[in-house]
Amino acid sequence: MICTIADGGRLKTFLEFIGVIASFAARVITSAWRSPYEFEQTWMQVGEIGARSLPLVAASGLALGVVMTLHTHSTLVTFGAAAMIPKVQSLSFFIEIGPLVAALLVAGRVGAGIGAVLANLRASEQIDAIEVLSVDSFKFLVVPRVVACVLVLPLLTTFMDLTALLGGFLAEHALSHLSAQLFIERAFNGFAWSNFVPPTLKTTVFGFLIGTVSCYYGYTTDEGAEGVGRAATNSVVLSSLLVIVADVVLVKIIFLFFPGSAL
Amino acid sequence: MTESQPTAIVFDGVSKSFGSKQVLQEVSFSVMQGETVCLLGRSGTGKSVTLKLLIGLLRPDIGKVLIGQDNISSLEGDDLSRLRRKMGFLFQSAALFDSATLEENLALPLRRLTDKSKSEIEHAVLRALAEVGLAADRYKMPGELSGGMKKRAGLARALVLEPEILLVDEPSSGLDRITASEIDDLLLEQKAKRRTTIVIVTHDVHGARRVGDRFAVLDKARLVAFDTLQCLENHESKTVRTLVGGQ
Amino acid sequence: MRNRNIITGAFVLAGIALFALVIFLVGNQRKTFAKHVEFYTEFANIDGIMKGSKVRVGGFDAGEVTDIQLPDSPAAHFRLTLSVVERVHGLIRPDSLVSVASEGIVGDKLLQIHPGSANLPQAAPNSTLRSKEALEMSELLERSAGLLNDVSGTMKEVSTKLTGTLDAATTTINNANDLVVGIKQGKGAIGVLLRDENTARSVRETLANVQQATASVSDASMRADRLVSDFESRNLGEKVDQTIASAQSAAQNVDASALQLRQSLTSALGPDSHGVDAANNVRQSLSNVNLASSNMVEDTEALKHGFLFRGFFKRRGYYSLANLKADEYRSNRSLPAATNTRAWLDQPELFDNRPDGSEELSPEGKAKIDEAMAEFGDGAFGRAIIVEGYSSTGDTGAQFATSRVRATLVRHYLQARFGLDSRDVGIVPLRGVPPPSTNKKTWDGICLVLLKPRASAR
Ligand SMILES: Nc1ncnc2c1ncn2[C@@H]1O[C@H](COP(=O)(O)OP(=O)(O)OP(=O)(O)O)[C@@H](O)[C@H]1O
Ligand SMILES: [Mg+2]
Repeated sequence: MICTIADGGRLKTFLEFIGVIASFAARVITSAWRSPYEFEQTWMQVGEIGARSLPLVAASGLALGVVMTLHTHSTLVTFGAAAMIPKVQSLSFFIEIGPLVAALLVAGRVGAGIGAVLANLRASEQIDAIEVLSVDSFKFLVVPRVVACVLVLPLLTTFMDLTALLGGFLAEHALSHLSAQLFIERAFNGFAWSNFVPPTLKTTVFGFLIGTVSCYYGYTTDEGAEGVGRAATNSVVLSSLLVIVADVVLVKIIFLFFPGSAL
Repeated sequence: MTESQPTAIVFDGVSKSFGSKQVLQEVSFSVMQGETVCLLGRSGTGKSVTLKLLIGLLRPDIGKVLIGQDNISSLEGDDLSRLRRKMGFLFQSAALFDSATLEENLALPLRRLTDKSKSEIEHAVLRALAEVGLAADRYKMPGELSGGMKKRAGLARALVLEPEILLVDEPSSGLDRITASEIDDLLLEQKAKRRTTIVIVTHDVHGARRVGDRFAVLDKARLVAFDTLQCLENHESKTVRTLVGGQ
Repeated sequence: MRNRNIITGAFVLAGIALFALVIFLVGNQRKTFAKHVEFYTEFANIDGIMKGSKVRVGGFDAGEVTDIQLPDSPAAHFRLTLSVVERVHGLIRPDSLVSVASEGIVGDKLLQIHPGSANLPQAAPNSTLRSKEALEMSELLERSAGLLNDVSGTMKEVSTKLTGTLDAATTTINNANDLVVGIKQGKGAIGVLLRDENTARSVRETLANVQQATASVSDASMRADRLVSDFESRNLGEKVDQTIASAQSAAQNVDASALQLRQSLTSALGPDSHGVDAANNVRQSLSNVNLASSNMVEDTEALKHGFLFRGFFKRRGYYSLANLKADEYRSNRSLPAATNTRAWLDQPELFDNRPDGSEELSPEGKAKIDEAMAEFGDGAFGRAIIVEGYSSTGDTGAQFATSRVRATLVRHYLQARFGLDSRDVGIVPLRGVPPPSTNKKTWDGICLVLLKPRASAR
């Protein structure tokens, strides 16, 4: 009995939590469309979230590309299918690994950053100070960050895809002296737009989730300095989780609309 | 102090509590236009909370807070912004934007809330900084400032829009006597030149006696006194007498 | 601040440029930016073709399937819209065939448009091209299995008859040789023998048999031809092609040898026959026919065992016994292995010299072979026997020729005497040098090798 009551309570808080986040997300969406638009802030966040994440994303892409090729090389060579390596590489990165890993990296780096920065602004009364200056702090701080996440993730994903391809090529070149031209030709042979455009654009959803979740934790924290760390951690955990869950759903949706994109 | 003077601020039966902690209980007072009120009280009695209630950062549990004719605690969005545009606020912690230089901290409200040109803004910013003695430090980031400098910069930001109502939370804390009295001069000048309505939270009795027209004393969640200096110096409560610097 | 803006700008521009680059790379592969022409085609069974499946024209990636209209009744067909680049339009003629193919064994399904006849005009855009329905693999297997059964049955029959006839002919010819000797000694003419009614009838019957057999083989080989082209269109492994090709060539060999035999017989039976020459020709021809037909049996047998030829040959441990090459044989570890049972037969008693210098099995030799086979016992039947021929006299060429002749002679004898299946008896001419695993430096004569049974071959 106690157990069910406790669970009922927990379920209630869980539902409440979902409701709060959902209305936060709805607020992001509605206020994003109302003027005044914070272009300058958005541009700054594009730099902060996008350009500053590029080294991390590019380096990870390169490393993953090399590693993937080393793995698939030994496997595919035993099947005499070494010629498939570029295609395996490009398809796996463009369809799934690129978008997902880029999103998870951004969730880690940017999610924590946004959570901590906003929580700190809140704790040091800077958000109140913005409010006092008759500036809508939500539009000033939250919307630009979410919009920047949405805009930047497809770009970062493209970078990841291509650096992974480059890493794959370097590894393959070292192993079998495959020429760059042949590698590209094989990588994109039989490659459809639906293998690239929908998976890349789906990261806008990831961006929205990462931005919204981390802004939620940062913006609504009310616990002073110790809340900063918690906001950062929670942002990363929940946004990574949501990215993965959303990926499952999006893959299914993309497959519905673009049957050709399935492997 | 005649009854014909219009009231700028009315605090009407305001109670505020955080969780189980009652911070303010049925506090009522009103401030005339152009009047300077000093809010005194021991640490943790709710002075900062009172200021935040005045500018709508906090909402009262019971009661009303009127700024002019408007109940600020029931306003939202654009209406709230419009009302706040008349008000300047100095946070106890100064709350400078620590990702921007001093100059940008001051320029932000000007840029967003006025249609001044770039050079006019620059000019206004420089003047406000000069008034608090920070003209030379305008390109510094808040992290590079001392506590007192931050306080002065915060005051400059509160003044840069030339507000009708100025709410300042401990403007002279962390300042030496000389600088503190310079700040007091500045406040007196505001009052004289622009007939600014000022509410000051302060522990600096000396300064308060110079600038304050009336004094409000908070104790144990209640407003125990709200009157002129002479009256309070002879107040029945020892706490009140001590706080205003009497015997 | 300005610096940061520059970095942000560079990032955004680079990102957009790379995005565009990928789109361009993909588009380039798909030839999206080139001009396209559309054609239609209809299939009862589209075999997994989807919207977006590739279309190749003469093997060139030229476009994709852009639409599939579903049939509304079982009698109707799927109607596919194919979009191909304008540049290959010239290859597509009104008689171009469209077929379903697959990219590698596990690859995607795609459509192939086979270039049409050069003398026809280009197919009009939006016209409907004829389609070639995909044959189900299972159906194909069934068909080929049936055909191969026929071929292999026929060939076995022919082979048995040939072996019998060859034996008879050899005896006859040996008799003829005796006669020739006799003639030389003034005992009569070879014509007498060949005009002898019995011998002539037997030879004629055999000839008729062989002719009948070759006719049916060439019919089978025609059907095999069709099958082969079917296989080819399906890109099956090269191995299949090779095996079928060798079956065909074997069938042609049988044809050729049969023709030669007929000529030899005709000339032998002719009014102005040349005695010994003619007789030898007959013998040579018969022996050729025999070899060719046994090769064919081998190949068709392999085919019959399905498409996993490699498996079939592997389990047996050798490919064709009839075509063993000396060097391969020596270097193959499993064939000359010491564990196989060997019977070494020494030349002096084995072969006699005929008057013309060629060798033949002596009666003692035959007895020795019988003895060796008796020693092998029942186990010899159904297992593979390799006849190693040795000769250590003369130069390398002569050694090789003689050792081959000896092995052949013994093989014929084994087949005739013990009814051994031709595909179970292999020959290999080894000159005077046995394989290293036998520890023998040199040999002159014959060695019968009974191969160790492998894990059951069928
Ligand atoms: N956001 C808040 N949440 C919970 N409690 C609060 C909050 N803000 C203030 N309090 C509580 O209200 C009480 C009054 O706080 P306030 O900041 O007004 O004190 P103060 O009079 O300004 O003191 P000081 O002179 O030290 O600044 C304190 O006990 C404080 O703990
Ligand atoms: Mg305070």
